[in-house]
Order: sequence, then structure tokens, then C-alpha cells
Amino acid sequence: MKSVVTTVIASADAAGRFPTTSDLESVQGSIQRATARLEAAEKLAGNIDAVATEAYNACIKKYPYLNNAGEANSTDTFKSKCARDIKHYMRLIQYSLVVGGTGPLDEWGIAGQREVYRALSLPTAPYVEALSFARNRGCAPRDMSPQALTEYNALLDYAINSLS
Amino acid sequence: MLDAFSRAVVAADASTSTVSDIAGLKKFVAEGNKRLDAVNAIASNASCMVSDAVAGMICENQGLIQAGGNCYPNRRMAACLRDAEIILRYVTYALLAGDASVLDDRCLNGLKETYAALGVPTTSTVRAVQIMKAQAAAHIQDNPSEAFAGAKLRKMGTIVTEDRCASLVAEASSYFDRVISALS
Repeated sequence: MKSVVTTVIASADAAGRFPTTSDLESVQGSIQRATARLEAAEKLAGNIDAVATEAYNACIKKYPYLNNAGEANSTDTFKSKCARDIKHYMRLIQYSLVVGGTGPLDEWGIAGQREVYRALSLPTAPYVEALSFARNRGCAPRDMSPQALTEYNALLDYAINSLS
Repeated sequence: MLDAFSRAVVAADASTSTVSDIAGLKKFVAEGNKRLDAVNAIASNASCMVSDAVAGMICENQGLIQAGGNCYPNRRMAACLRDAEIILRYVTYALLAGDASVLDDRCLNGLKETYAALGVPTTSTVRAVQIMKAQAAAHIQDNPSEAFAGAKLRKMGTIVTEDRCASLVAEASSYFDRVISALS
């Protein structure tokens, strides 16, 4: 799993040397930003169901045709799967906040995403709408501190960009 | 390769839940500077630790440098010093990451079999690792023994924490123990 620490270790290992002062400086930089990231991760973990449900409702509201017979949100099974997918993205964003890089999103969310959605003939626009809603819903300092919100929004933007 | 953070993520993903032990990670972050100092203490003294550990191992078993011993001739002694440095380096990486996966995957995986095939004596290797374990503890605590070091006594600085980084000493020791149990 890619993070600042593992990247530093991998390059030190490739050169066969002990961690240098500059290696330790990069790790320290990552640790300094970690407080905000962990705050965002903590808040998101506490509210993940509400956040995911709101985002899901927002995208169905924007694309009501999805409820029509034969569409992606037509039956109860489909509805729960759609809601699960949104929560899945939010969970991967929480992981990325913890790790401090986009590794979890890349490896478990984005890799193969296009192929899967094409095979299942799912539209990506509703996902973009759901994540955009979450992107604009967060508010500092009501939900979390400004720095934490910045980290959280950056990851939502990353996920949105991967879909559009 | 994982670190303390990605280890938490992989564990959470196995049960499709969010990472819940944020408090533990916050502690890791709060004590980050201690960890970096500990890594620095080992990295800065690495060559001294390695040569001292191998010298100590040979002192206790002179047969190693007699003809037919495993540290004879210089070529094999050099290989021994190199291997001790490699082991110490991976322990340092594990301490920096806060997770043993880099040590397991890149150093210990197959090491015992390799040493068996090359005829490297396990007991001597384990002894050298034990000496490095004691040295690492002394350097992280920053209380190297004056009796042993004599004129070469070298300290990293003044004492910063009351407990002399007891948790990091325990963590580093656990990585050395991991090496020992992988070899024996």
C-alpha cells in the first residue's frame, strides 16, 4: 500500500542505505499533516451512513429516470446496491485519509472501475453527482476543522475526477 | 509493504468497515518525533553496531575465524558484516514504518533456508542479532554503557523523555526477536 512512509522505505531499500535525514524529514512532513487527516477520518467514520445516504438521495433526485423499470435503481435490490456503492466510495475515502495518500482509492476503487461499470452498463454520472453532493455538503467548522475539510474534499475531488 | 496506517486500513477492509482505531493512530502521530529520533539513533550508529556485533560474536566463538570457520577467510567475514548490516537495515525500516511487513517480506522470507543451504551457523547469527538488539535498545534509550564503550562512548543528546522511549525500545526489540525466531 503506497504511502509516504512506504515510498521512502522503498527508495532507501532500492539504494541499499539506511534512512537518511532527508528521508526522516519527508516522513515527519507526512506526520505533521496527519492530525488533520485523522480528524477528518474520525468524523467521517462516525457519520458514514448519514453521509452516504444523503449523497445517494441527492443523485436519485437529480436523475429520477433511474427509478424507471429496467434502470439501475428500479428494484429494492438495485436500490440497496446503489446505496452500498456510494458507501463503498466513502469508506475508501476514509481509508485514504488514514493512509495519507490515494492508495486505497486507487487499488480498491479506481482500478478496473470503468470496465466494471461498462460491463454492468451503469452510468457514471449519478456517481459523480452523489460524490459532488458530498463534496459541497461538508462545512467547516460545523463538521470538522478547515484543514481536515480540505483533506477530505481533495479526496472526494480525486474520486470524482476518476469517474468523469 | 505496509506501515502502521495501511495496516489499520487492510484490517478494516477485511470486514468492510471503516477504520475505528483512530486513537491508536493519533498516538502514533503524537509520538512520531520520538520514532524518527529512534530511527536516527540506529542509522547514525549503524556501522559501529554492525562491526561490534560481529566482533562480539567472534570473540565468544574464536573457531569462526580459524581456518575452516565460517568467518574465514576475509571474503566470508565481509559477507558476514554485510548480512548483519542488511538485517539491521530492515529492522530500521520496520521501526520507521511501525509495522513488520517490510522486514518479513524483504528480509526474513526464505532467509533461514538460504542460510541452511550456504551452511551459515544459526546459533552464531542469532548471537550477532541479539547483540544488535541490546545495542539498539541502548541507542534508543541513549544510555550506552560507559563500561563497555570506554573512550568510544557516544551519546545522541540529552534525555528528552522520562521513560527513555520505553515503548519504542520494546517495539524495536520485538523486530529483533522476529529475526531471531525466523532464523531458529
